[in-house]
Amino acid sequence: MRIVAVTACATGIAHTYMAAEQLEKTAKSLGHHIKVETQGAMGIENELSEKDISQAEGAILATDIEVERAERFQKIKTVRVPVQEAIKDPKGVIAKLQG
Amino acid sequence: MNSESSNLREFVFDCGLRNGLHARPASHLADVANRYGAECQLKNLRNGLEGDLKSVLAMIAVDVRAADRCRVRVEGEDSEAACNELRRFIEQELPGCDEPLAQVAIKGNAEGLPRGLRSAGLQCHFGIPVSRGVGRGKAVILGSLALAAGQAAESPDSPEEERNRLHRALTQVRDRVQSSLVQNADITQRAILQAHAAILGDAGLRRELEERIALGRSAAGAVVDAGNHFAGLLNQSGSAYIRERTVDVREICAQLLEEVSEPGSQPPPIELDGPAVVVADILGPQQLLAFDRKWLKGIVLGSAGTTSHAMILARSLGIPAVAGLADATRLFAPGDEILVDANRGLVIPRCPAEAWRFYERERQAYCRREAVLSRFSMAPAVTADGRVLEIGANVSSAVDARHAFANGADGIGLFRTEFLFLHRSTPPSEDEQLAVYETAVGAAGGRPVILRTVDVGGDKPLPYLELPLERNPFLGCRGVRMYAGHEEMLRTQLRAVLRASAAGMVKVMAPMVSSLDEALWFKHQVALAKSELLARGAGFDTAIPIGAMIEVPSAAFILGALSAELDFFSIGTNDLSQYFFAVDRENAGLAELSDVRHPGFLALLKQIADELGMLGKWVGMCGEMAGEARNLPLLVGLGLNEISAVASEIPALKEKAAHLSAAGCRKLLAEAVRCGTATEVDRLLCGSAEVQAPRPLLDAGLVTLNSASRDKDEAIREMVDALYAAGRTDDPQRLEDAIWAREAVYATGLGFGLAVPHCKSDAVSANSIGVLKLKHAVEWGSLDGKPVSMVILLAMRDAGPDGFHMQVFSRLARMLMDESFRARLMSIADRHELVSQIGEELNAAVAPADEGQANGATQPQGSGVHGTDEVKWARIQG
Repeated sequence: MRIVAVTACATGIAHTYMAAEQLEKTAKSLGHHIKVETQGAMGIENELSEKDISQAEGAILATDIEVERAERFQKIKTVRVPVQEAIKDPKGVIAKLQG
Repeated sequence: MNSESSNLREFVFDCGLRNGLHARPASHLADVANRYGAECQLKNLRNGLEGDLKSVLAMIAVDVRAADRCRVRVEGEDSEAACNELRRFIEQELPGCDEPLAQVAIKGNAEGLPRGLRSAGLQCHFGIPVSRGVGRGKAVILGSLALAAGQAAESPDSPEEERNRLHRALTQVRDRVQSSLVQNADITQRAILQAHAAILGDAGLRRELEERIALGRSAAGAVVDAGNHFAGLLNQSGSAYIRERTVDVREICAQLLEEVSEPGSQPPPIELDGPAVVVADILGPQQLLAFDRKWLKGIVLGSAGTTSHAMILARSLGIPAVAGLADATRLFAPGDEILVDANRGLVIPRCPAEAWRFYERERQAYCRREAVLSRFSMAPAVTADGRVLEIGANVSSAVDARHAFANGADGIGLFRTEFLFLHRSTPPSEDEQLAVYETAVGAAGGRPVILRTVDVGGDKPLPYLELPLERNPFLGCRGVRMYAGHEEMLRTQLRAVLRASAAGMVKVMAPMVSSLDEALWFKHQVALAKSELLARGAGFDTAIPIGAMIEVPSAAFILGALSAELDFFSIGTNDLSQYFFAVDRENAGLAELSDVRHPGFLALLKQIADELGMLGKWVGMCGEMAGEARNLPLLVGLGLNEISAVASEIPALKEKAAHLSAAGCRKLLAEAVRCGTATEVDRLLCGSAEVQAPRPLLDAGLVTLNSASRDKDEAIREMVDALYAAGRTDDPQRLEDAIWAREAVYATGLGFGLAVPHCKSDAVSANSIGVLKLKHAVEWGSLDGKPVSMVILLAMRDAGPDGFHMQVFSRLARMLMDESFRARLMSIADRHELVSQIGEELNAAVAPADEGQANGATQPQGSGVHGTDEVKWARIQG
């Protein structure tokens, strides 16, 4: 499946990127296509476009803080989890989207 | 001044002493009065109290505070001479007998405790930190200095015998003080002992004692009564400083009491035989001096006084001391192991092992920091982009000079020679001065020594100069302005300076120059001194550089003309700022108006530095502005050749300079002079990322292997200490708190035995990665519930955008999700190898396409301070 995701933690120094890495790695190993936007200390990176989102079958918002521009995901199936969960159990998080 | 009777004279004065008329100035005044037969009375017109000018104690009891208006009345045969001399002394010398106002110290509190102590669940007491340091030992509880006469008082012998007993006691105690004076060379200790000698000879005290014996009291009873009488008077003073002098009276009377009492009726003196912390309600200075310094590890006082003589001594002797612990003597039992933390104002009784451990680890961290600083202090200060800044020292004596060079001074930027001229009745001779200057030049070992000729005037009057009284001495005849009337004194000094120049690199500098004429006149005087020496056949440096202080604004606008005549300049910011802002620097209430970071003042400094730079003249800065580390970016931005500061600040200034970018500092200064307020400049200083030269995120100094930390608390503290030792944080406690604030959101243990604590904080002065490998894994609240054996700290500055470093941090965070990368890190057992491994992998990940990025994130070759790797790395960062 095609997945889009956003990761964002409180300080934006470490967990945002660790969660992004886990989701990317795991999705690929499961044969999914994924694009992860990070909202960290460097601001928004790898930003999801309207097209990215409209083509995706689901979105994962792995965040401890308010997601910037959350309205983008209104028309799409969305799973919200704390950042830690994406780090600890990325497989389980992706499974939630499929379930 | 004259009144009806020819033998009665009087005058009125306003007290110019900031601490009021306390024991030491009063003892000088009593010395003067005691030279005359006339009766001398002091009356405080504010409170109506009156006292004998020949008695220190009586004068103190008159409770004269700063600016109180007082009347002196002199009556007797020699009243005219006495009145004239007292008046001269009070107007000219008394103001110089004062000392700086005591710093207001704040009582320690639980919030101020570092986490390591808070979590130890300590039982501790808070007091006022008076003399810094940490000490531990067994509690020695002193009885109070309260005076009780015991049996002797009740059955007096004949008044004649009691009088003899009293006189013997006075002589014995006075001899003891005199012999300590003879043996003691320390200025602080001598001043205090002299004050005690003065109290023993005090006319008021003697009169009180004699009167009581005449009334049939025993000698012991008389001592107790007189002691309590004066202690009571002093205790009523409105000045805390004077109230604290009560202790001195009590101590002296306690000593007298011991002498007049039956042997055995007074407790024997306490001898220390091991590390000890002395606990007392009040402590006399002689009591303190009587303890074996080897064993005296700390002092805890019940009284809150921070300026008592004992506390002044504790500071000068470096004995940790905490005051203001109510009921101190009842809080501890004799023999209790006590720890005194006089940095935080804290006393820990029956100190538990956890607290010992905390302080031992803190001591080790402090030693590591000192070791790093000493590496910087012994090398020249060079900014990261190669600009050299001499860091000199301000000194007042040859001893100061030796101390300064031991601290790494590149020279003496300001030798305040006037201290050789103070507190004496004639100016020092040429040979006397030469001996001092030669010692300083010898200690310099070829480094430059700037001798500033005597800078006295209304604020530092000298009795033998007979300077006219001025309503506004700071705007009066001081510095170079008073030389014309005292040419011989100046030329004697110049000859001594010139002769010292034969032994090394000496420069001579004139104070308070405001016009070209003064500069020319001063030069001419140097030329005359030279020809006097030539006639004598004495040797000197014929090309001795002649310079001037820039401390009067008018001089700052004729630099072209001055430069044609003079060789160098030093900006004296203390006076320059007070003349520039029209603010008396002694007036604490106006301090805000004369902030040296006021953009207007910075613009003046910039104009001076720029112009002298264009003229190719050497320019330095002495004055307090130069000694404050946070001003350093502004001073580097000015492009000064030198700054001169108090010796103890030199190592930290050199280290700080090494991490600055001169180019960034110039930009900062250019922005600062366009600000509107000092507050805006402060914000710029805090927020500017450019002034700091980029440092490697990681070097071997930030890696700890085989850490013995026992828990998460200790592990984090150990990493913070490593950053502190490396000069990457100025405030370790705040950094520690920032890391824990992040842990409070949720623990940063990732699982796999790894934790990644991190923070973004303005307590961080350079972005850093710390690595800690633990001997024994510790609990961290990890995602997988397992303990942690490797910790990677990411510490980020809270200033400005720093894209590259953040990119490195985020890349590292991603790489840590890779099992094989973690395994490689876990397996490496060498600090340097660990640094290069992380560096190589990070560089490859951050900029795989660019070969030039190799070594970009780290400094592989360990901890070299000015290594070429760092320079290369710095370039890549730009």
